[in-house]
Amino acid sequence: MELLRSLFARTSASSRTSPWTLDGSVLLPRAVRTLKTSEAASFLNVSPNTLRAWERRFGYPAPMRTEGKHRLYTHGEIAALRDALKEGLSISSAISRAREKLTADTPALVGALTNCELDRADGAMEAALALRSVERAVEDILLPSLREIAQRHGGESAPWSFAARWASDWLVRARRLAPAPVRPHTILVGDATRDELDPDALETAALTLFTIRGGSSVLTLPVSGLAGLGDVLRNYSPRAIVIAGSHASDDDVARWAYAVRTLTGPLPVAVFHRGERRGKTSTTLMLSDTPADAQSELMALTEERRVAPAVPPRTTFAEPAPLHRTATA
Amino acid sequence: MSARPQLRVLPGFAEAEPLVSFCGHCAHRPGPAEVGNRVCSNCHLGLIVSAPASVAPTTKEAFLLVDGRMQVCAVSRRAEKLLGSAEVEAVGRPVAEILVPADAEVAGTQSLATTIVHAARGDGTVDNFVLRPVGEWGIRWFTRVGPCGDNAALIVLAPDG
Repeated sequence: MELLRSLFARTSASSRTSPWTLDGSVLLPRAVRTLKTSEAASFLNVSPNTLRAWERRFGYPAPMRTEGKHRLYTHGEIAALRDALKEGLSISSAISRAREKLTADTPALVGALTNCELDRADGAMEAALALRSVERAVEDILLPSLREIAQRHGGESAPWSFAARWASDWLVRARRLAPAPVRPHTILVGDATRDELDPDALETAALTLFTIRGGSSVLTLPVSGLAGLGDVLRNYSPRAIVIAGSHASDDDVARWAYAVRTLTGPLPVAVFHRGERRGKTSTTLMLSDTPADAQSELMALTEERRVAPAVPPRTTFAEPAPLHRTATA
Repeated sequence: MSARPQLRVLPGFAEAEPLVSFCGHCAHRPGPAEVGNRVCSNCHLGLIVSAPASVAPTTKEAFLLVDGRMQVCAVSRRAEKLLGSAEVEAVGRPVAEILVPADAEVAGTQSLATTIVHAARGDGTVDNFVLRPVGEWGIRWFTRVGPCGDNAALIVLAPDG
């Protein structure tokens, strides 16, 4: 509990006392020990090529990347694999065992949230963070636990409401501790979710967190709000638009996207968790369902745009003319 | 010393046979420079295991490793192709979901299971069986089953003919 409190302390501390550490360009809780490829290979008594071969074939261990694209492994992941390799007869079974060991925090979090025990839930995430980066803790523990609760109790139940609010709060706290943006652009997220109890809202919050931790600024606006859009966008220069969530109607989303593009120029549009049949056009990028993959795709999209900029955005901002609603039968 | 005859422990058949080390994925046999390596330096995807020379596979043979609970622990690269199943999908499954006896004239499932369990205990000898993939007819493999390391059985598949 103490560690989590210190991790999420709002006050900015000096780098000496900060609970976070900057490893390369990856911001990690200080409790997470990381290893470079050569260190991880030496720890496992294998060659770096072997580690990369395992990553290609099994997706494990799954390293983070520094700004220079170097692999960075979490100590917990490598240690779990080392223990499993001692007993196993194949790499495949050893990796399977190591994965099981690492996902052991999921039942703890599900149990805590189902029993409405905030301290235990924080403790479970604290334990998860001791072995993983924030991204992996969210993708491997937090989101699967929430999915399990939704599946077990239903999306309208009290346990789901409690768990979703706690998770939403946890993601916001993590976002506050992200480093200052290092990329000179903003991603504009059009929030098409219902509210914070919408399961897509948590996925969107995770994508937002990962994007911020990736060094970009994120501006989130509801797709239902057109009034005053020009005033807000005047202070930002978004490089891409992400429509996240499936609750808002296609009409609302189209109207909002049109208004934004009128104000900023023809920005690339990506959709996240909007369902397969919705919003799929030749000019729209469908992001992966997992927030980490979606964030990588989004970064690639914005980098492409930086290399080959499309039509420059308008320098003067004017409110778009109000659009007439499409009559629906 | 008494002149009375005494019982003495003699080495068993399996113990007397030389052990051969090979990769549990590509069957590559490590050279002198690779002795002591835990992971295959040829494919990087298999652990080095050892088995009696009479059962150890060559690089052209498909094979599986099965533990004493009859669960698949490793599937070689050739076996993946032969069985049409990736190692990650097969590991942990009961071997009976993948291979069954195809020899109607001799020992059935019971004998295969007994041989695997004994082999996984390290006290079995090398036996031959005719097996087929589950749900497939018209395909059969002559196989040899023997011990592999301390806690696994090795099933080496050789195509009919």
